[in-house]
Amino acid sequence: MVKRERGFTLLEIVVVLAIFGTFLWIVVVLTADMRAWEKRMPVNYMTHPQISAVVSRLRKDVEDAGAGYYKDVYGDYHMSDKTLIVYTLQALGTGETVVWDFSKDGEVTRHAFTDISGETSKWTAHGTPTFVITDFPIPGHPDSVRIKAYDKDGKLAIDQIFQPRAH
Amino acid sequence: MEQQRGFSLVEVLAALLVLAIVITTTMAMFVERQKRMQAANETILAYQAIANEIEYRRRVPYAELESAQGTFVTDTAILGPLAPFAATVTVAPPQSNVKVVTLSVRWRNGQRVERVSISRVDTGGSGLW
Repeated sequence: MVKRERGFTLLEIVVVLAIFGTFLWIVVVLTADMRAWEKRMPVNYMTHPQISAVVSRLRKDVEDAGAGYYKDVYGDYHMSDKTLIVYTLQALGTGETVVWDFSKDGEVTRHAFTDISGETSKWTAHGTPTFVITDFPIPGHPDSVRIKAYDKDGKLAIDQIFQPRAH
Repeated sequence: MEQQRGFSLVEVLAALLVLAIVITTTMAMFVERQKRMQAANETILAYQAIANEIEYRRRVPYAELESAQGTFVTDTAILGPLAPFAATVTVAPPQSNVKVVTLSVRWRNGQRVERVSISRVDTGGSGLW
């Protein structure tokens, strides 16, 4: 009669560790690969509803820009790489001056003015990255606007060119 | 019949089989999710670059479309994470005064490609602007 002892044999332990170690190794490799990929990619801001709304509204304002397109100064605002002043047409054919203010970190504000009524609307998006505005001169057509946004690691996350459309 | 403690070999094998199926399925789902998220994020970057190049190509005179540069003119810094990549522009032969301009971005050794085509019409004049 064989005397049964408590515990496990070395072979049993080795087999269990091998099986467990295989699964653990798979998880480690997948996690490392995922982290390496995430470090390389910029933050996907376009899935953020407020940021995609900023890009969409800005695109609409520039594409519907009217005669004169941009202004260097309007009220207390001055055109710069953090402030865009554009004269845009509305649905009924009237125009309004829109000031896009990117100067405050984490916020983007759109002010709309008319000469008669003053400021008619103000809309602020929150949780936004750092936007920078530049021009993008196309030979013969120097009216394009380029916006870029960088994530906190300095990676370029948004890069869009807009230009007025024909009306 | 005397009841003994423990599990039979068949029971243990069946339990291991079920466990293996569950773990394998979960791992596969995790990997697939990761791949699709990666592909989606890369696609968004590619389309931003393509959209920018479209804005430029819209302003190239109709007669000069074929002779314009065959690679992207706009800055492709946004495509940095996809490197190495190839951003190209091709113009199909004109049909009925319409030229189709196709902008493509290829990466991962050509395994991934995103492309957008725009139609340019010969207005016969100085353009709509």
